[in-house]
Amino acid sequence: MKKYFYNLGYFLKEVKNIISLNLLSNMVTLLSIALILFILTMVISGWWISGDVLGAIQEEAEISVYFDEKFSDEDIAFLIKDIKIITGVKDARLVEEIEAHERMEKILGKEAQVLEYFDDNPFSSFIEVNIQLDKVNIIIESLNDMRGIEYIRDNREVLNRLQNISEIFSFLGILVVAAAGMTTLVIISHIIRLGIHANREQINTLRLLGAPEGFIAFPFLLAGLFLTIGGSIIAVSLSGFILKHIYGQISGPLPFIPLPSFGELISNLRVLIIVAGGLLGLVGGLFGLLSTRKAL
Amino acid sequence: MIVAKDVNFSYPDGTSALHDINLEIGNNDMAYIIGPSGSGKTTLLKLFMGIEFPTTGTLKVFNQPMVKGQNKKIKELRRYIGPVFQDFKLINGRSAMDNIILGMRFLNISPQVMKNNAKEALERVGLPHKKSTPVENLSFGERQRIAIARAVARKPILILADEPTGNLDKENAQNILRLLTSFKSKDTTVIITTHATHLINGEKDSILISIDKGRITVERLG
Repeated sequence: MKKYFYNLGYFLKEVKNIISLNLLSNMVTLLSIALILFILTMVISGWWISGDVLGAIQEEAEISVYFDEKFSDEDIAFLIKDIKIITGVKDARLVEEIEAHERMEKILGKEAQVLEYFDDNPFSSFIEVNIQLDKVNIIIESLNDMRGIEYIRDNREVLNRLQNISEIFSFLGILVVAAAGMTTLVIISHIIRLGIHANREQINTLRLLGAPEGFIAFPFLLAGLFLTIGGSIIAVSLSGFILKHIYGQISGPLPFIPLPSFGELISNLRVLIIVAGGLLGLVGGLFGLLSTRKAL
Repeated sequence: MIVAKDVNFSYPDGTSALHDINLEIGNNDMAYIIGPSGSGKTTLLKLFMGIEFPTTGTLKVFNQPMVKGQNKKIKELRRYIGPVFQDFKLINGRSAMDNIILGMRFLNISPQVMKNNAKEALERVGLPHKKSTPVENLSFGERQRIAIARAVARKPILILADEPTGNLDKENAQNILRLLTSFKSKDTTVIITTHATHLINGEKDSILISIDKGRITVERLG
């Protein structure tokens, strides 16, 4: 270990030599890795955001229960009490006609004036039931058995669609992670092989002088690491810029979509992509070294 | 230090290069391996360094059997050897100092000691003023001296010099031989191959190994 510490300056100089020996090709490599990792970053953020949005919506999953209009306040109170004891129900509360009207006004925004055409409030009061989403079928079955319930509105269709989108992102994410990983490994191992080939005389001399393989290989591993970490930094910076723009586009006109915090998303992405890039650089470098070991 | 018993060596294509080599070179010996070009001198040095391995017979260097499949041990053994290659094997684009230090980087020596050893070696070979010059800008003779400096800066216990007098005029060749023999000490053995037999002064107690068509005769000079 001591010899690696003593020679830190030498290793960094060697990395500079390895990279500058094929400067153009190494710059193209850096940009290619940045691009690949950028695509990876964007897919992972899509994966994360859709998963978070779905999770948040699932947390707030609720169904609306409409009951017989002839029900007295006492009947309604009994009904709410009965609903609350159903397994999977987190809470139940009455939404009065006025509140239902106000909610619709809020949702319609500028278009809310259409409600003025009605002489009376067109909305009925209902019971808002917060539920555990995975228990939705049992809850609806129980509600259907209750006396006085006329209509149950659940949002299963919307939730199912969101679930599908999240699954597509997961599938795409796995594909892109595999593709980006393989491509980066191939590029790095190839570039390391080129570096080794260009330095083969020096490597042979070092071997004849008794240098351990680890000592000879270390600058090449470092070069791979620097290229992938450099690519990761470019990818994360570019993704940060694009995601900021996307957040601006979504959170303004669609404020009800519960996006995860931008700062948290970016800092998580930064750690993940840089660590993944570093690992890919090391593994790619090792592949490159192993594939040339016998040739030298 | 080096013990060879009935060593034979053939190249993979079947060409036989060394026959029945029996040899013993002790600590702090000075040995010359002499013979015409193609007689097997370089092959013998390659066996001593573990670049090639005996086809039959046993060869031990520092008590380490030189057999295939002992890569790690042979690499460790090479760290005690100061080789001067026929083609020098200096790294172009690096200064003389960098080349000398490169030979020590993996020996667990502190940077300051590496620098001091390199400076001392440069002085011994008479080129302290060339320390910053890239090796490709040095003359043939200067590069040879830098190769020697790289070998001795490592403080080896065995110096192996392959044809250090080749391509040099008589005066320079004699200077190089004198320089190499000056490194022989109670801690260091020096082995030199050369085809210029007329340049050997034949110091007392030195070993003269004559090689012809892969067969050797050993003579200790009195």
